[in-house]
Formats: sequence, structure tokens, C-alpha cells
Amino acid sequence: MVERIEDLNLPNAVIARLIKEALPDGANVSKEARAAIARAASVFTIFVTSSSTALAHKQNHKTITAKDIMQTLTELDFESFVPSLSQDLEVYRKVVKDKKDSKASKKDASGAADVSASGSGATEEAL
Amino acid sequence: MASEDIFQTEYSEEPELEVEQRMETEPLDAAEAEDETEDVNPTEDTTPPENAAAEKPVATKSAADHEPEAKLTQLPLGRVRNIMKLDPDMHVATHEAVFAVTKAVELFIASLARESYTYTAQSKKKTVQKRDVELAISAVDSLMFLDGAMNF
Repeated sequence: MVERIEDLNLPNAVIARLIKEALPDGANVSKEARAAIARAASVFTIFVTSSSTALAHKQNHKTITAKDIMQTLTELDFESFVPSLSQDLEVYRKVVKDKKDSKASKKDASGAADVSASGSGATEEAL
Repeated sequence: MASEDIFQTEYSEEPELEVEQRMETEPLDAAEAEDETEDVNPTEDTTPPENAAAEKPVATKSAADHEPEAKLTQLPLGRVRNIMKLDPDMHVATHEAVFAVTKAVELFIASLARESYTYTAQSKKKTVQKRDVELAISAVDSLMFLDGAMNF
């Protein structure tokens, strides 16, 4: 849950890095401009959320899915994000699945609770 | 129209960025720390890449499946979810939906930065000013939703 109001801001350092990566070398961003972009990003998040909530309601479901987000982005004129997002989502699904699979196989193998925390380091120690 | 051109340049470079980012994060952060105040809370984004880098020599393969979120998105998923929860009508969003929004926000930041920079470059400057961001917002149709939401 949200404990402090700052928890609703996006982290400044990450925003700064994202901006820097997008701009050509040698370009800089003033503090005020960075704050404006950060605020715009927060507003964008809320905008996309409320639009996809509306979309989900219209289709009589309550849970917002990635598909709703994609559809919303298209409706809001951000369809240029969709191809890249679909790729990222595929990677995400794969990573989540791999994680699940490896967790399950590790559980079968040893049953130790700490394997997920330290990976192969733990197996070496065990040997 | 104009907006699409700029917004479209993104995705070709995204996948490599993720990979590169792992390697670049540390030198980049060091450089950032030198140049200004943007690292007010450096722990927040330096820790995950360091962990990943530390794990890598030990377990190259399994490092990949330990912290998927840390590698796939730069912005924290939890923070984005909190912002999404501000919408009183939102009941449940799947993890994938939160991930999609997070990625979309990252793309959004990059496009807005690039769009703003065109105005910076037009006035033969190197530093993006707030004015450039405002000009970008009023010039691009799809950014209309930001009008009036920015002055607080």
C-alpha cells in the first residue's frame, strides 16, 4: 500500500536515465524539464489506467489484462508503442514461466527454502 | 501525423537496450553522479544491476531467471501499480497488465524527451528546458490529455 506520498512519484534517477538514453550524446535536461516529464509520465499512467478500466467495464470484465492495455494504447493514439510492447510482453511471459519452472524443479530436487535466493551458489555449498 | 514519426523510432532499439543496460548501468551511474543531483536516491536503481552483475560470474544461466522484473523494466513495477491504484474504479490488474503499463510509461518518457528535444535543437541549445516540454505537449495531438494536468 501507499505509505508516503512520494511513493506515488516515479523514481527520479530512473526517469533521468530513461531521458538520457533517449537523447543524443551531449544533450542535457534541466531540472524543471525533467520534473515536467516525470509529472507527464505519472499523468500518462493514470490516463492509461482509467481508460483501460473504462474499456474493461464496457466489455463486462473487471480484471484489467495486458490485452486491455494494448487496446487502450491503440485507442489513445499510442499504437506505435504496441509492437515493442508485444515483444516485451512475450519476453516477460517467458521469464515468468522459466522462473516458475525452475522454482518447481528446484523444489522437487532439494526442497530447501533458500535455493531461490542464491541460485547455484547454494548447490555448491550443499556439495 | 508528425507525432507518429517520432513515436515510432522506439522499438527497434528496445531489446538491445535491455542487454546493454546491464553492462552500462554501473559506469553510467558513476557518470551521472558526477554531473548533477539526479542521484538523490542512487540505491534505488544501482542495487538490482549490481546484484545481477555479482551473480553473473557465479551462475550465468540462472542469473537470468532470478529477478526478471529488475532486468525487463527500468521503472519499478510496484510504484507503477500504486499509481494505477489511484483510480477508484480499478479493481484488479494482472501482473502482465502492470508490466505493460510500466513498459508503456518507459516508452512514453523516451518519446516525450525526444519530442521535446526537437524544440531544444531548433533553438540551437543542448539543454532541454521546461518550455521545450510544454511546446512538445501542445504540438502533439496524442499528448492533449496532458493539457491542464501539468500546472500544479
